[in-house]
Amino acid sequence: MTFLQLNNIQKKFGEMSVIKGVSFSAQKGEFVVFVGPSGCGKSTLLRMIAGLEDVSDGTLSIDGKDVTYEEPAKREVSMVFQSYALYPHMSVFENMAFGLRMIKLPEDQIKARVLEAARILQIEALLERKPKALSGGQRQRVAIGRSIVRNPKIFLFDEPLSNLDAELRTQMRVEIAKLHRNLGATMVYVTHDQVEAMTLADRIVVLRGGLVEQIGTPTELYDRPANTFVAGFIGSPKMNFLAATVDGVDGGSLKLSHPAFAGGSLTVASDTAGRVKTGDTIIVGMRPEHLTLDAANPVLTLALDISENLGGSTQLYTTGGGEPVTLVVPGRPSLNSGDGLNVGIDASHIYLFDAAGQALRASH
Amino acid sequence: MRLSSSTLLHALGLAAVVAFSLFPFYWMVAASFKTQADILASPPVWLFTPTLDNYRAVFSDSKVFGAVGNSLLIASATTVLAVLLGAPAAFALARYDFRGKSDLWFWFISNRMMSPIVLALPVYILALQTGLLDTHLVLILVYLTFNLPIVVWICTDQFKSIPPDLEQAARLDGADQFTIFRKIYLPLGAPGIAVSAIFSFIFSWNELLYALVLTRRNVQTAPVVATSFMSGYELPWGKIMATGTVIVLPVTIFALIVSRHMVRGLTMGATK
Repeated sequence: MTFLQLNNIQKKFGEMSVIKGVSFSAQKGEFVVFVGPSGCGKSTLLRMIAGLEDVSDGTLSIDGKDVTYEEPAKREVSMVFQSYALYPHMSVFENMAFGLRMIKLPEDQIKARVLEAARILQIEALLERKPKALSGGQRQRVAIGRSIVRNPKIFLFDEPLSNLDAELRTQMRVEIAKLHRNLGATMVYVTHDQVEAMTLADRIVVLRGGLVEQIGTPTELYDRPANTFVAGFIGSPKMNFLAATVDGVDGGSLKLSHPAFAGGSLTVASDTAGRVKTGDTIIVGMRPEHLTLDAANPVLTLALDISENLGGSTQLYTTGGGEPVTLVVPGRPSLNSGDGLNVGIDASHIYLFDAAGQALRASH
Repeated sequence: MRLSSSTLLHALGLAAVVAFSLFPFYWMVAASFKTQADILASPPVWLFTPTLDNYRAVFSDSKVFGAVGNSLLIASATTVLAVLLGAPAAFALARYDFRGKSDLWFWFISNRMMSPIVLALPVYILALQTGLLDTHLVLILVYLTFNLPIVVWICTDQFKSIPPDLEQAARLDGADQFTIFRKIYLPLGAPGIAVSAIFSFIFSWNELLYALVLTRRNVQTAPVVATSFMSGYELPWGKIMATGTVIVLPVTIFALIVSRHMVRGLTMGATK
């Protein structure tokens, strides 16, 4: 059942269009992540779901009810802000109880609900403290606790982990994932961090310039990106792109040329007959983690610039035909800068895009 | 701990400023305990036998008590009204966009640019025609017109410094505008409200020009009474200084009480 429905949502600030028509729906209990570079409109979109920003055009419904012009409180959503937005003059208990007091819940129920949320988040010992006496991670927990107590229909998270240090961020990420599993709640989460998106999401909405680039599960986005933007955004380090020229089209295969290719050319199987002709530019995408060293049938001939030892793996920055190519290989190969590398890749891991950056797919 | 020369200079500079601003107070308080002869002595007498005669004269003068009562009533009423009206106005100016907002804002600020004496005559005529002359109300109204802009000004600034996320969090929590104002902005804006209340109270307490112009016998305020001792050929400095001390005392106590609010860094820890 569709629980959250956005229908051609638009947002204009004066003449400037920030969200240019976004449609998407989420199921009950789904964890949806909005991801994109800064300025893509992801936070604005979240705030429109919350009701903190007016919707310029389109409709928004939650649990089957049109809430496009509904007051924020009546939407029964809660939000965890990037800044946490804890009330500084209230204790942790009062911060969490504030929303319950607004709906005039009896005091014993308020207490029960706050204590329950505090137990889930392990902040029972902090209930009497003021926010300024808390660490960043503790404030984050209180902010999440404040949204839990109200039993909202949808949890909204606006880059909740961006103010935490790296270790704490990983820890809180796991806790948010657990929370989602335990509460079974619908969550919409905004981040610019693709790792957070990949690890937390049931489905990811990739946004750019106020438009949806692709919606799909993390695996779909990784395996079948719709375009070079999504392909480059999902995955770390980002995908390598080489702009090759089509030398010949032969039934089910394409012959491509680029100076980085071993022998200057590469033949790939692709049933794009009719859509590609000789002389066209094709963008070839290869993920750093799919490239292998010392291949029997090398696909790329590269020269090493710098290698970074990450302990368990090594990141290699190389150049091929003037283009930078990054590899991530297991172990610690002993290589020197300037070394020539014969790099291979499984044919199924080669991504093809047209000159405009759209994925070239078999017609499925 | 060794004092560096810059710290020392800093301390000396501060001491000079403090001495400069406190000396008139010392002079006033000291003179209030002196006899007329000691006060007029030249060179000034630094060591003298204190006398309470001046205070006896002040407290036996029923005019002084009445005047302090008048001042207290007028300054308190003005301050309470200025804060009650000013703080919500400041909330609106700080958080909402509406037509004419910048004009209104300019009007509030430009209000303070005019010299009060420019309006003295028109206000006098207005008061005369409305029959408000020599009433508490007329001074409260006049002081309100001077104090409201200050309260609005200071509070708007204070409210603007409160992160908007807090208001939005409260909206999502189901708080209406008035609740947000009362539960979030008032407590967090307390330092600014306290400062503006002090300004408002002290201004109203000390104001002399309009109090002289608009009152006769019934509603004389403390500063008016203090100056009224300078009459005819008599200049009872001791009594004037004792009255001055009595006038300054309540505001000093008031300022000490509210100053605690000013130094509390309430917005700390609200957001990262």
